[in-house]
Amino acid sequence: MNSHPTPAPRSALATTAALQSALAAEHAAVYGYGVVGASLAGSRQATAVSDWVAHQVARDTLEAMLRSRGSQPVAAAVAYQLPVTVRTPGQAASLAVILEDRVATAYLGLVAQDSVSIRQFGALQVRAAALRAAAWRGSTVAFPGLPASALTAPRRQKS
Amino acid sequence: MAAHPTRRVVLAAAAMLPLAAASGCDGADVLATPPQPAPDVALLRSAITAEQLMIARYANVLGDARNPGGGTPAGRGAAAAALTAALEPILAEHQAHLAQLRSRLVVPAGAAPSPSERSPAAPAAPAAPGAAAAFLRSAEQAAAAAMLDRLPHVPASLAQLFASISASEATHVPVLDAVILDTGRAAR
Repeated sequence: MNSHPTPAPRSALATTAALQSALAAEHAAVYGYGVVGASLAGSRQATAVSDWVAHQVARDTLEAMLRSRGSQPVAAAVAYQLPVTVRTPGQAASLAVILEDRVATAYLGLVAQDSVSIRQFGALQVRAAALRAAAWRGSTVAFPGLPASALTAPRRQKS
Repeated sequence: MAAHPTRRVVLAAAAMLPLAAASGCDGADVLATPPQPAPDVALLRSAITAEQLMIARYANVLGDARNPGGGTPAGRGAAAAALTAALEPILAEHQAHLAQLRSRLVVPAGAAPSPSERSPAAPAAPAAPGAAAAFLRSAEQAAAAAMLDRLPHVPASLAQLFASISASEATHVPVLDAVILDTGRAAR
């Protein structure tokens, strides 16, 4: 019965902290998509609404995961300082890209945890954020969510 | 420092693992939580091979699209040009994936040579632009899924790289969907 030691508290604390960071990013995305949607019309607005709902669902999932771990989920801020001024549809799309990139980075924090299920959950959310970001950006990137500092500078490859 | 061994240290441990196994060490169950170096290196190598295959697929399709066979109708030429424009940025992303994966592989002295220097055989691709895009689409889906399957068995920083690459590959699917749709329209 005691051949399987309980997980190190440090690992459990790190996972809780990573879940809280992901939740904070989702709170910011839920707020930000309200601004994105308000600046768009037609099918672009419909996309913004659908992405907004996806972030609300993810937020609720993270809150449930934290509660099941006995942790109090972090609350949303009353308001957020937006990283860009949004007056045009193009600026709205730029904000959506930034929100998704930040969410993807936060979920990569879950991929670094020991638990296999937390890793897989984080990876699926990174993928979802990357797909939404690519749709808003109109192009794809090689390393969704990974900051340049996390990438090694490899020597130039031929071919 | 001691809690965060460098990649070099982890791979040196990998080189010693068979010795521990041969000496009858059966602590594997108890030691399940720390990074397991041997699978880590094998999975990194399989990820490198998978990216090389993907690059070979794109290179094949792009080679066909840039040099469509003689006597093709003008519509086919336009579809081939659209295919080239869509695929070249994706190919560049796969090349970035490969470079990043290779940079994580530190081969211990005396270990078997890395497979990363040998290019795998380039698989055949359909010649028609729409069929070629569909061929790449299914390859991207399979590669993204295979990359996720490697996640449980690698250290944290490699898991993050694998997850990011998998997400990048998943975003190529809608791009290829658009190509398939466009070539279908052009053919009509």
